[in-house]
Amino acid sequence: MIGNFNINSSEIDKIKNITQEEKVFREKNLESFKSSGFPNKKFEDWKFSDFREIINKNFDELEIQKNTINNSNYINLIKDFEHNYIFLVNGSLHSSNFDYEEKNKIKINKYSEAVKYQVTKNPLICLNHALAENGYSLEIDKNYKFKKVLVIYNFFTKDIKNKILNNKNIVKVNENSELHLIEYTVNKSKFKFISNIYENIILKKNAKLKSLYVQNNKSEGFFHKFLRNKLYFKSDYSNLIFSSGLKFNKLDIECDLIEENCECNILSALFLNKDEHQEIKTRINHLAPNCKSYQRVKNVLSNDSKGIFQGKIYVKDVAQKTNAYQLSKALLLNENSEFNSKPELEIYADDVKCSHGSTSGSIDEDSLYYLMSRGLSRNDSTKLLINGFLNDVIEIIKSPTIKKFIEKKLEDQVNGY
Amino acid sequence: MLEIKNLKASINNKKILNGLNLTIKPGELHAIMGPNGSGKSTLANVLSGKSGYEITGEINFQGKDLKNLNVEKRAQKGIFLAFQYPLEIPGVNTNNFLKTSLNSVLKSKGKKEIDTLSFLKIVKDKTSELGIDEKILSRQLNVGFSGGEKKKNEILQMKILDPDFSILDETDSGLDIDALKIVAKGVNSSRNSKKSFLVITHYQRLLDYIKPDFVHVLSNGRIVKTGCRELAEELEKTGYEKLN
Repeated sequence: MIGNFNINSSEIDKIKNITQEEKVFREKNLESFKSSGFPNKKFEDWKFSDFREIINKNFDELEIQKNTINNSNYINLIKDFEHNYIFLVNGSLHSSNFDYEEKNKIKINKYSEAVKYQVTKNPLICLNHALAENGYSLEIDKNYKFKKVLVIYNFFTKDIKNKILNNKNIVKVNENSELHLIEYTVNKSKFKFISNIYENIILKKNAKLKSLYVQNNKSEGFFHKFLRNKLYFKSDYSNLIFSSGLKFNKLDIECDLIEENCECNILSALFLNKDEHQEIKTRINHLAPNCKSYQRVKNVLSNDSKGIFQGKIYVKDVAQKTNAYQLSKALLLNENSEFNSKPELEIYADDVKCSHGSTSGSIDEDSLYYLMSRGLSRNDSTKLLINGFLNDVIEIIKSPTIKKFIEKKLEDQVNGY
Repeated sequence: MLEIKNLKASINNKKILNGLNLTIKPGELHAIMGPNGSGKSTLANVLSGKSGYEITGEINFQGKDLKNLNVEKRAQKGIFLAFQYPLEIPGVNTNNFLKTSLNSVLKSKGKKEIDTLSFLKIVKDKTSELGIDEKILSRQLNVGFSGGEKKKNEILQMKILDPDFSILDETDSGLDIDALKIVAKGVNSSRNSKKSFLVITHYQRLLDYIKPDFVHVLSNGRIVKTGCRELAEELEKTGYEKLN
């Protein structure tokens, strides 16, 4: 643990309105975190992302961010398409707007509940369980289909410096309802900080959630997010990840396909620039028959960047007729970039279709030659090939305006190259 | 237009071109024939500026030495190569790519870049002139194209970029007669007193549709015989062996 990051258990006493049970739960988790500290590469799940070393290298001091919100104007809303929004400031719920929807179908609240969670080996989750105070809880009523997309503005203020923010969110989509959301990170801080999020997603029978992550701008922030998804009968979850531009990002997704006929899609298109580090770790638990999971992870890695994909597919003995697919592809732009892939299949059912594959390579010189022979510079040709490599993930977005918006964001990321 | 003197090229210490001389004047169309491995495609690659070759000799294009110019600069100066095997570029939209190419060529000539609308008009004109389905341009560049579609796409690119000097590297190989006619139309409709062509082919058939001013035979990396169109007919009958 870094020298100046000592958490006193009085931090938990400062959290208001908690039951004795919750207090005990938080204290237990704090003890657990204290005994291990930040995870280093000896933790199997962290073998490619030595978080302790990264933190030691980047932080001389680190403090817990208490959630305070002032009311100044923060942000320009996206003008490219009409949308509802939830506005988070440093991870805490600030405001929301559902003018396009039937408001009585939507419940949005601050969220800090901490008890119902299992004990975990991930020290960052323990830390979150111990200290998370302020996030959001969103619940969509039965039989309600959102008319417009919901943008979650994840805004970080400019004074956030050497802080660690712990937040907890929950999204519940009830029977036969549908929600499309974009988590849009906007960062005003030029300093280093850590955002540590635990998020629960629950999709009830026939529910559908499409989520998409994208950044507005580069950030010096270090992000860790643990996503715990529970999918019930015939529900449909998809997550498109375009979160390039962060100094460090680890997205840890655990998805339980609890009842039959549900579907889980996780796709990413990342362009990692100088010194950036991104890990996507998934565990898809096929716990019931006839479910489908699909994962496609694409990384373009430039100077000294590091990309990681650890993907596990677990198929329980009862989960017959499972169809699970996993593929990771990396395009390495120079010798100093690195991509690690660890696919894992653990299958206990005998009538399943599971596949995984991983490729990494450099830019094809013949393709470059072809493009340059039409008058394009080497740089422009490279950018075209990079965009081409990442494009097939964007193709999945159905709304033309959102697709254009994401294309533009991705192009900005690549043009920084 | 193009003057090649004593051109030698080797790759990985293997000599491929051994002192090739060729002069192409504005408005001329030259055909190059020759057995497999004689250096035809190498000549096309070397002229377009593909890296990896060791080169000596002279290549002057419009009075300037080409040797120190890379691929893109040569393309911007007006050299076009229709590839023998056009590459499939996944994820890159053909229209966007062509527009970007055209604009970088225009920009290098100090001309104004064109907007999407004017570009689409050019595309419409050229596709209907050649009888090519416009739809191929909204697809990913060459991805899943048939052999014929790829070659037609090369000719379409040539028409849109409007180069001064075009090299067609076995563009006729593997084409059915209708596609061959499209290729020939593309070339013939571009011919004028300022534009020149170098057409590499194995078959006299193409030269029934595209009338060359000169026919050269390339063997062991140099031109061993030059004649007019009748030379191609003769070769068709006798083969290359007699030339050696």
